[in-house]
Amino acid sequence: MQMMFASKGRTLHAVIVYFSMLFAMFFVFICAPNEKIQGIVQKIFYFHVSSAITMFFAFFIVFVASIMYLWKRSDWWDAVAFSAAEIGVVFCTLVLITGPIWGRPIWGTWWSWDPTLTLTLVLWLIYVAYLMLRIDIHDPKRARFAAVLGIIGFVDVLLIRWSVEKWRTLHPKPVLIQEGGTTGLTSTMLWIFMFCLGAFLLLFFYLLRERTSITQSRHALEVLRQEIDDLLAR
Amino acid sequence: MSSSKIFIQQVFALLAKDLKTEWRTREIFTSMFVFTVLVVVVFNFAIGADTELIRQVASGVVWVALLFATVLGLQRAGHMESEEDSLQGVLLALHDRSALFVAKMVAQMLYLLGVVVCTLPLCSIWFRIDFTACIGAFGIVFVLGILGLSIVGTLFSIMVLHTRAHEVMLPILFLPVSIPLTIAAVYATAQLIAGKGLKDIADYLALLSVFDIIFFMLSIMVFDYIVEG
Repeated sequence: MQMMFASKGRTLHAVIVYFSMLFAMFFVFICAPNEKIQGIVQKIFYFHVSSAITMFFAFFIVFVASIMYLWKRSDWWDAVAFSAAEIGVVFCTLVLITGPIWGRPIWGTWWSWDPTLTLTLVLWLIYVAYLMLRIDIHDPKRARFAAVLGIIGFVDVLLIRWSVEKWRTLHPKPVLIQEGGTTGLTSTMLWIFMFCLGAFLLLFFYLLRERTSITQSRHALEVLRQEIDDLLAR
Repeated sequence: MSSSKIFIQQVFALLAKDLKTEWRTREIFTSMFVFTVLVVVVFNFAIGADTELIRQVASGVVWVALLFATVLGLQRAGHMESEEDSLQGVLLALHDRSALFVAKMVAQMLYLLGVVVCTLPLCSIWFRIDFTACIGAFGIVFVLGILGLSIVGTLFSIMVLHTRAHEVMLPILFLPVSIPLTIAAVYATAQLIAGKGLKDIADYLALLSVFDIIFFMLSIMVFDYIVEG
């Protein structure tokens, strides 16, 4: 697993991410048909939903990496959890920005307390708290506490989902898969969306890989600095 | 002696220690109670004199006050515990460390219950709400809600003892995680105030119970990682 994240093929990964994002833009703005009712505004769907799925994926990785850290106690898993949380918050912010931009012309309001929006906002708060907790502690306890919060936070997602579901909903019902298994999208829209999602996930993995390696280098640097301080103090 | 018997004995010993200290100082309960009353009164000014409006938001006001009171009480308790590192001493003496968690949680729950019992009559007078009409149903909602607040709050309060800015970190961690509980408790209470029965709030009660069970099990599982070394 750690080998997969090693520096080998990093440039190739970057190039693939670059071109897939470029193609995604091209497909969304040039090839995708305009939606009948919503018009051009609907194109934000490709980025909004892709960011949302990537965000959930990122937080799931925080959850898995946190469990793995408590089990294996390897610094690498801690670095993965931290990096995934950070990138997850970035994508969560993107969802919270693109959501209102889409909602304003369609719902006529920037914000509504509908379940999906509320869930995203609460997730943002929880994982920002996760990052703040990490900044605030400077010893091995940091990784353990963060791992505990990473697990609790993800379990909480299910409960938050349940609780906010009780509210009246404005959010469009998932357009990907509707009742009876049919999709609300034309086939062109669907494959462009799939491509977009793939591009976002590739981007996520690239960022995760870079961030994890930076986190590990920083950790190694801290250890070295500590050793030098100890030597000088002697 | 079987290990479960030792566990229960240690929980009771720790609980007795906490309650005895509290009985002598009355520090935590007093600050929680006064704070809760203050929050309710201040909200009352914010809402205005419209009786119907106040009735509608009363459950939200009470639960927000309880959330803040939980944070306040746990901060006081944590402060007492971190003085002269007494927590480490207690941990060394324990057979199973989750006994500490259970004892702290029960203590917090008792303080909160005390606060509720003292505050609700005042709310009843100020907001003109008859809590005695279905006191059993209110009791269930408040016990389940307070149990959840105590579980999550206690877990985080012991965690933040090791952070630099623990006064700030506790609410930042505790408030977002307890949002499902807050939603369920506020709406269940609001429905009861509106004259509905236990049957109408079954969904919320289920949510409260599931929250309590999941977080209790999770806390017991991860507590060792929080207090180790």
